[in-house]
Parts: sequence; C-alpha cells; structure tokens
Amino acid sequence: MTKPVIDIRQVSKLYGGKHENKVYALNNVSFTMVEGEFIGIMGASGSGKTTLLNVISTLDQATEGTVMIAGTDITRMKSGQLSDFRAKQLGFIFQDFNLLDNLTVHDNIALPLSLQDVPAAEIKQKVKHVMENLGIAELADKYPATISGGQRQRTAAARAIVHEPALLLGDEPTGALDSKNATSLLETMKKLNEEQNISILMVTHDAMSASYCRRILFIQDGRLVKEIVRLGPRESFYQEILGVLSEYGSARSSGE
Amino acid sequence: MLIQLAVSGMRSKLKDYIVLLAGLVMSIAIFYMFQTMAWNTGFIKENAVINSIRLVYGVGSFLLALVTFFYILYANGFLLSLRQREFGLYMMLGARKEKIGRLMLIETIVVGVCSLVIGTVLGVLLSVVVGHLMSNILEIELSGYYPLYWPAVLFTCLFFGVLFLISAVWNRLRLARRQVLQLLNGNMQADRPARGGAARVLMTIAGCISLGIGYFCLVFMEQLRELGLLTATVMTPLGTYLLFMALLPALLDRLKKNEKRMLRGMKSFTFGQLSFRIHGLTKMLATVAMLIALGAGAIAGGLAFMNNALVAAESSSVYDTQVHNPNQEQLRLLNSITFTERLEYHYKVDHEMLYFVQEELESQRPLIKEEYNSKSWNRLIRIQGPPPAGSSWNGDYSPDPQWNQFLLDMTPNDQPYGEYRVVNKQQFEELASKEQRIVLGKTADFLSYKAKWRELDRLEQEKLDAAQSNWTVYSKFSIYENYLGIASGTVFMGFFLGIAFLTMMASCLMFKILTGAAKDIQRYQMLRKIGVRRERLAGSIRHELLLVFLFPGLAGLSHVLVGMNLFSFILVEPYYRIWVPVAIFTMIYSVYYLITVNLYQRIVLPGKE
Repeated sequence: MTKPVIDIRQVSKLYGGKHENKVYALNNVSFTMVEGEFIGIMGASGSGKTTLLNVISTLDQATEGTVMIAGTDITRMKSGQLSDFRAKQLGFIFQDFNLLDNLTVHDNIALPLSLQDVPAAEIKQKVKHVMENLGIAELADKYPATISGGQRQRTAAARAIVHEPALLLGDEPTGALDSKNATSLLETMKKLNEEQNISILMVTHDAMSASYCRRILFIQDGRLVKEIVRLGPRESFYQEILGVLSEYGSARSSGE
Repeated sequence: MLIQLAVSGMRSKLKDYIVLLAGLVMSIAIFYMFQTMAWNTGFIKENAVINSIRLVYGVGSFLLALVTFFYILYANGFLLSLRQREFGLYMMLGARKEKIGRLMLIETIVVGVCSLVIGTVLGVLLSVVVGHLMSNILEIELSGYYPLYWPAVLFTCLFFGVLFLISAVWNRLRLARRQVLQLLNGNMQADRPARGGAARVLMTIAGCISLGIGYFCLVFMEQLRELGLLTATVMTPLGTYLLFMALLPALLDRLKKNEKRMLRGMKSFTFGQLSFRIHGLTKMLATVAMLIALGAGAIAGGLAFMNNALVAAESSSVYDTQVHNPNQEQLRLLNSITFTERLEYHYKVDHEMLYFVQEELESQRPLIKEEYNSKSWNRLIRIQGPPPAGSSWNGDYSPDPQWNQFLLDMTPNDQPYGEYRVVNKQQFEELASKEQRIVLGKTADFLSYKAKWRELDRLEQEKLDAAQSNWTVYSKFSIYENYLGIASGTVFMGFFLGIAFLTMMASCLMFKILTGAAKDIQRYQMLRKIGVRRERLAGSIRHELLLVFLFPGLAGLSHVLVGMNLFSFILVEPYYRIWVPVAIFTMIYSVYYLITVNLYQRIVLPGKE
C-alpha cells in the first residue's frame, strides 16, 4: 500500500585520504522509510547522524552503497541533476534557519516555486495557503532580521513544504528554539505529517523533539545500533527514548 | 593584553584586510600618479598646447581628492564593520569603551601608514611603467617627466595623512555612539525602506538642476570659459550624486514591484540582492560614474588631440601626396602604394608662368573641398566646370574658384607667384621650355601609409638638398608630423590620466564588490542546498553585476559625450572619431566586468561537486 521514500542499502562514508587514517563516518548503513513516516535519527555528537542526513539530502556523496530517494538512485546523478532533484523532491529545515536576509518572508517562501518557474498567480496562492497554515500570514512583507527565532523557523518550514516535496528533512530543526517555540514547531510538523501525509526525516539529539516521531533510529560510530517504534502515547515514548539513550551512554548529549 | 587580542583578531580576518589594504594602496598610488603631473609645472608648460592647463589640473586634483575622500571614508567604515563584532564581544566581557576606541584609532592609523608607504612606492613604479609604455606607443620623447617627484610624494603623504586622521576620528565617534548589542549584532540588518517620497522628489529635482547647469556649462564652454569650467566641475558631480542617490533605489523598487516578472526563476533573488545593498551602493556607483567620465574623457581628449593632427593634415590638402618630377626611387615608392585616385599632369614653366594642358585637366577632373574652411574639411566634391581658358593674371581670365583652388595647391614651391595659364595640347607642345610632370595621389586611409609618406618626404628632401635649394619639404605628412609633435605631450597626459582614473574606477568597484562577498557566501550556499543549479547561481551573479556596472557606465559615457565640448575652443573637431575612445572604453569596461564576475563567482560559489 505504501512505497518507499528512502531506500538505503549498505551505505558507507569514508573520510581521510590515501596516507591518512581512514575514518568511517557511516559504516554499512541500511534502512527503508515508507511514504508518510515520521522518523527521527538520534545519536551523540560525531556519531554520523548529520553525515547520514547529508547523504540522503544529496549534499554529500556516499563512498559505497546505493541511496534511492523517491524511487531514484541519487548516487548516479550529476551535480546539475542533483540540484534539480533537491529543488523538486526535498524540503529542508536547518538549525540556523538558512533564510535569505535580503528577501522578505513571502519571497523566501516563494523561492522554491519561482525557481521552478511556476506561474505567478499559482505561486501567490500557494504561498498564501502555506503561510496561513503555519500562522505567519501577517509577516509576509517583513525581513528575516526583524522577526523572532520561532517565526523564522516557521518561515523556514513554510519554505520547505511550499513545493510539496516527497520528503521533508530536518537538521536539528528545534536546535535554536526555546521550548515553547520548539513545541509549536514540532506540533506543526506532526500536523503536516498526519494531515498532509508528508514524509519527514529529522536529525536530533533532543529526546523531547524525538518523541514526536513515529520511529527512531539510533546511530553510534556510523552504525545503526537500535530502532524503536512508538506504540503508545508520546509521554511513554519519551521515557523509552531516554532509556535507550542512557543505555548507550549519551543521555548527556541532550544538554549540549 | 587587549592589543594582543586585537592583533590575533586581525590575523584571523587577514583576507578582508588584504582587500582593504589593496583598495587603499591602489587609491594612493593613483593619486600619486596624478600628482607627479599636477605638480610638475615645468613638464606641463613645456608639453601642453592648452594655456589654461594649470586650471585643468587644479580641477582634476579637486575631483580626484573628492572621490578619494569618499573612498577612504567608505574603506574605513568597512574596517569598523570588520571589527565591530569582536569589539562588541570585548566590551561585553568588560573592556572599557575608551580602550576599545583607542584600539580602533591605532588600528586605523597602522593600516593608514602601511597603505601609504606601499601605495607611494607602487605609485612611483606605476608612473615609471605607464610613462615608459605611453612614450613607446605614442612614439614620443618625454623630457622633464619624473616618475619620482618629491613634491608629489610630499603632497600625497600630507593629503592621505589628514584623510586617515579624519576617518580615524570618525570611526571612533561612530563606535562611541553605538551600544554593545548593536555592535554584536552588527551583521544582521534589515532592508532599509526607500527614502520617503518628498525627500526623493526634492533630491531628484536638485539633481536634475545641478546636472543641467553642469551640462549647460560644458556645452557653452567657449563662451563661459574659466567660470564655466569651475561651475561644471562642481555641478556635474553634485548632480550625478544626487540623481544616483534618489533614483537608483526607486528604480529597483519599481522593478521589484513588477510581480509577474519577479516570481520567475532567480529574479526575485537577484533583485533582492541588489535592492538590499543599493543604499550602500548609490554613492559608490556615482563615484564610479564620475571616474568613468574623467577617465574616458581624458582618453577621448588625448585621442582628440591626436586626431586633430589628422584633421589639420587633411584640411591642408585633399591629396595625400604630390610629387613634382618624381625620380626612379620616388616612382617605385609611389607604385607600391594603393591609391584610390592617382592623377598625373604635365606642366611647363615659362617666365614665372605655369602652363597646364586643358585636355589633361578635362580628362582627370580632381577632387577639391566643398568649402574652403576647416570645419568642413572632409566634404569633398569633384570639379564639374570647364578648366579656365586663359591666364590667372591678365584680363582675359574668367575666374573659376574651384579650379583656382586646385591649381594653386599644385604650384611648386619655387614658383612664388603662382600664376598659371591653361592651354590646349597643341599650344602646350609648342612651348619651348622643358616639360615637367606632377603626380598626385589619394589613398583610402592616410594614416596606414605613414612609413611611405615619411620615405617620400626623405627622398624629396634629398632632391632639394641636391639642388642646393633652401626649401624644406612641405607636405601633408610634414604638417601631420609637426602637429603631432606639438600635441604629443598633451596626448600623453590624456592617456596617462585616463589610465589613472580608470584604474581608480576599477579599484573602487572591485573593493565595493569584494567587501560584500563574505556575506554572500552563506546566501549562495543556502540556495545551493535547496537545489539551485550552479549555472543559475552564476547567471544570477552575472545579472546582478551587469546592472551594477550598467548604470555608472551609461552615466559616465553621457558625461563624456557632453563633456567633449570642453575642447571645442582648442580643437577643430572634438567629436571626430569619438567612437574610437568610446569603443576602447567599452572594451576595457566589458573585460573588467567579465573579470569581476569571474572573481566573484570563484569567491561565493561552492566548488564543483
């Protein structure tokens, strides 16, 4: 009934040149994500979670293995094709927002669409819709420097989904937010996932954020070491996550 | 301790400091180059054709000083922006404001002294190179020009010393006015709204009036003279600055509001980039426009003096060469030239009277000037009327001014009275005196046979010397050479100053653009992440820089085109071949644009994946 959005087979990423010590940032990682899932990737600093995200988001290339996103093998694509692929199939939310400070909130959100030369009327309508959805409609003509952190992250989220990507990727999306704004963003993501069936993959080291996911993959030294699936309410899932984290000795990292 | 911190902070931003230092060094070097001329009165007096050349240099110095002043203020503002975050951090950790202020002062002075020393040395070197190069290209000897000229060194040091002091104090004041938080978050800034309607309208009107007065003075320079020159010097830059400041942001706003266009491709980003920084750019672009006007104007002026030599030669005679009784060598030389028109007539001299053959004149009708004045030197017509029958001096002569003009031009030098009679072939043959001949030739382009003309003149002089004549050769080419000899100093100055101003322009634009590059790296990286192809980013950069280059380029050229009137009271035709300097400038500017685009792309775009 559901098709895989991400299908990763035996992916390894090696750092270090010929005469240096080789370091595996990713070591033989395989997993599959189907459409409509909300997956979290957790791990300590340096465990390889950001590398995994970069490989999936086509920003970095795997040394070995195949990476299929939405049915396309991205390891065989050229730079230009990868760009187009990112523009059409992927949406990003970064920890530091990555908004363009020289464009208004509206223009920032419209960017992925105008890059694909969508007709102006359609852009306006879609942007309006997504801004209303995320509760930032009144910020349209402001510049990123004049709005709050939470509002910036909502703007980033709006930009990430306005072109209806196959996959939404978050790199510590709540990392720079206070708990109130973080909760609000996570609720928004949950809503997007449940109501619009958007597939979300999020990297985080924060157990509270992770507890919004349906499934969590734990990564350590470049390997996937454990996987847990949420069955009950969020609160008990949160406890379960904390348990796994302490088991792998990285509960501290939530405070870094 | 704080000083050590400051030094390590500077080291970490070495790249930015190199950009800053390079900008300052260039402006100092160019200022010095200009001063080597401005202060060398002996050289100017000896080499200039223009009497009021001192005034021209005064005006030039003033304009250059003005431009440099703004440039230094801007560069030091950049210095402050480089450091403010770090200074804010020190202050947050408890450093006193006075101490930071002193640090800033010291830093400004150190940067100033360094750039002054390097800049002056570079200026001397540049003067040597450019002087050498120009005198080679223009084939002229420069006497009295010194690349290392102490009054110029002194004045340059004094001028920049004062400027650096002013900007150091200015930076300190600005630092003192700011709060710690403002310093810390100095990098984050929102777009400033465009200037309010009333202020903008006022600025536009004032700008139009100033520019109008400036242009008026340039156009009527012949009547207004010194007063006109001074007024134009003040009003034209003023108008340029006001109009750039008032109109550029408004123009971009309008372009931006055009939504249908904006929401296509990278346009919204490109215009966002532009309008985001246009407020900081307007003054710099106006400066660039002025420098273009000065640089291209100086080159155009120099070329106009050079062209004037040709104008003088062309108006002296229609035909490029005329050789009386050519000998073997001369004939061989003449045969090697491709003439568009070659005429050959026979004549006899008898009792100081010249006899021409009527049939020859009728079968080879010559070209003459339509009117005999210098303004219409290049409008030629062919004589249609019959050759005058009879002689030029007694009563049976019916005057024909056209034939008269031509036949008098043909008279050999040793026939001072220039009286002639046109006779038919039979009468001519009956005359007892020796038959002589004259060869006239006109080529498509006088200047492309310079070597041949020179050789012909030499042979002619040999002939004159052999005949123990007191005459020296008087030909179209000798007129050309003589004029060029007189004008060469002025031509050199024009080219020298033109290069100086254009280099200054280049350094201004380069500096402005490179200082913004650091912030752009993040923007382009982000665009890359959300999936913009590299080619599209490159396209956006080309587009953005094209607009940045276009406005001052057009304004500068318009200034030049109007400003060439300045020379109308010394030159016959200041606008003759004006497309040559315009083309030269356009070429240099285009190449410069391409270099800037390339450099910028290398800085801000990530490497190939």
